[in-house]
Amino acid sequence: MEIDEETKIELYTTMVRIRTFENRARILIRDGEIPARSGFYTGQEAVAAGVCAHLSPSDQIGSTHRALGHLIAKGCDLKGLMAELCGMSSGLNKGKAGPYHIFDPSVGALGANGIVGGSVPMVAGYALTHQLRDDGGVAVSFYGEGASNQGGIQETLNLAACWNLPLVFVCENSSPEVQRMLGHEIDYPQLSIERVSDRAQAYGIPGATYDGWDVLEVYNAVGDAVKWAREGNGPTLLEFNVHQIEGNLEGRIEVRDDERIWCPIHRFKERITDEGILTTELDEKIRDKEKSKVEEAAEFALRSTVPAPIEAFKGVFAGGP
Amino acid sequence: MAERLITYSEALNEAHRLEMASNPDVVVFGENVSSGWRQVTKGLKEEFGRERVRDAPITETAFIGMGVGAAIMGLKPVVELMLVDFGLVAMDQILNQMAKSHYMSGGAVKVPMTLRATYGAGTSSAATHSESLYSLFAHMPGLKVVIPSNPYDAKGLLIESIRGDDPVLFMEHRLLYPMEGVVPEEAYTVPFGMANLVREGSDVTVVATGLMVGKAVEAADELGPKCSVEVIDPRTIVPLDEEAILRSLRKTGRLVIVDEDYERCGFSAEVAAIAAEKGFQHLDAPVVRVATPNVPIPYSPVLEKHLLPSKEKIVKAISQLVGY
Ligand SMILES: Cc1ncc(C[n+]2csc(CCOP(=O)(O)OP(=O)(O)O)c2C)c(N)n1
Repeated sequence: MEIDEETKIELYTTMVRIRTFENRARILIRDGEIPARSGFYTGQEAVAAGVCAHLSPSDQIGSTHRALGHLIAKGCDLKGLMAELCGMSSGLNKGKAGPYHIFDPSVGALGANGIVGGSVPMVAGYALTHQLRDDGGVAVSFYGEGASNQGGIQETLNLAACWNLPLVFVCENSSPEVQRMLGHEIDYPQLSIERVSDRAQAYGIPGATYDGWDVLEVYNAVGDAVKWAREGNGPTLLEFNVHQIEGNLEGRIEVRDDERIWCPIHRFKERITDEGILTTELDEKIRDKEKSKVEEAAEFALRSTVPAPIEAFKGVFAGGP
Repeated sequence: MAERLITYSEALNEAHRLEMASNPDVVVFGENVSSGWRQVTKGLKEEFGRERVRDAPITETAFIGMGVGAAIMGLKPVVELMLVDFGLVAMDQILNQMAKSHYMSGGAVKVPMTLRATYGAGTSSAATHSESLYSLFAHMPGLKVVIPSNPYDAKGLLIESIRGDDPVLFMEHRLLYPMEGVVPEEAYTVPFGMANLVREGSDVTVVATGLMVGKAVEAADELGPKCSVEVIDPRTIVPLDEEAILRSLRKTGRLVIVDEDYERCGFSAEVAAIAAEKGFQHLDAPVVRVATPNVPIPYSPVLEKHLLPSKEKIVKAISQLVGY
């Protein structure tokens, strides 16, 4: 697929935005302004960017405990997002969600999830709604290779296949060479197969594995699957191999030398620089702009007020207490 | 010999090691259990080998159900749930199969399995990573539910769980892991259904579990001579030492229940019901509950703190009763 320059710059910008935001959040965690830890997405930015570039706010995603990349690529307001991480009343979910439970229906981000595999069955519901309304919309379900074994995900693959739902399953495999869980070595494998996408065959749907550190590869693969789903052909299982990379507290987008080969931002920058699309000036402009947006978000969060304690009791039921 | 101080998590680790050494049928599995960062199972793989200590995929239904099956076959599985909240993924295996297979089979099969789970709020992790939930599991007939509040009990209760014939949900508050206490080196058991009289008193009885036991004692200490507070730690909520609670009530006539689980239909409600049904004649004042209100635990520290039982809330509850 020929990808125009504008799209390439947009993909690059989204990846820069995610990394800049996450590094800022790391500083806020260190400073105690964000009261808890969060799963980070550093090294995986190409997947969120390449997927969400095909979606409009009326398409939905379901996400994970490593949601910030997905949420930002889907278009969540950075201020509301940062304020949520800081537990403020101006946060997207009034300080009740934190990093693991953010929902932003206005952009189709439904939602982060603290339970591994927890969001996937719900995404089938988003897809079912599009199918019933016949509106051409799709839903995308993000999850990890560890999650991919959960019964709920296997059941959803089957259900989506049986009902031909407009759903794209996106499995981000963060330990494609050596199997690890939560970054730690494990003594027994968690996958009995090399490729999570091999499971597509078991459900009679298309599936394949791609390099998740190559944003154009992601963009192309997802473009086909989304089109396939929008045209009523049913679900696809896409697997993207990725490598989780350490972020930093200096606000640097660059990663360590040995991590560069897996860094989607580094790789894409080289490529579009070679193609003459990204000049040094344009790169600086993009970075500065994203940095100031993220800084604004951080300032907004820090200036916000913590919720009044009594707010804890509100919202248990939609119709009031 | 000087008394030895070790932490709650070290005590649990030691219980595993002693039982694994003395009984080859004891096997351990769960997510990341062979990794050094899992405090309770640390070093078990190195000592007992990867046959008996296994990392399971993130498939709670499968590995908890596997524990049930292995227990029926005569092994003694000790299965770890990273957090009790994740057990909700495996409700059928826990609440149907693990809890009821013995009874439904007319006693033809036994399920001597221990399901260990960390629990508890106070870390700003929001609802799917902060709940207590033991009341939910205690509701189902057939499961024993154990909540140690200190290192000594942790070790003795875990050994009792492993040696027993019944399925046990073993709840470990994550904020208790670093707590130090005197723990004997040898294997010993703490029997189920026998409450611990943590602090003697004559004016008010406080029944508390897990992390809340310490908070109740702090509250009692703070009240000092103003009020003589008796603190009872049931240690196991199934079976529950009702007699210990009623005995104390006969003496004090006043009851406060401190429970980190949600209030509605929870452990606190159960104890209140026992007091109403069996201790009514001893009660001089209404029963007071200090439990987590019926609101999913929120993320923001301000909101979370507002909901959780605390020393201050316990002091207030006790004071209210004394004046009654
Ligand atoms: C049901 C459930 N079990 C366990 C956990 C604890 N946990 C959080 S993230 C994680 C690893 C997830 O691995 P994977 O799905 O591969 O995603 P990754 O972290 O690699 O992005 C685990 C075990 C959880 N949150 N929910």
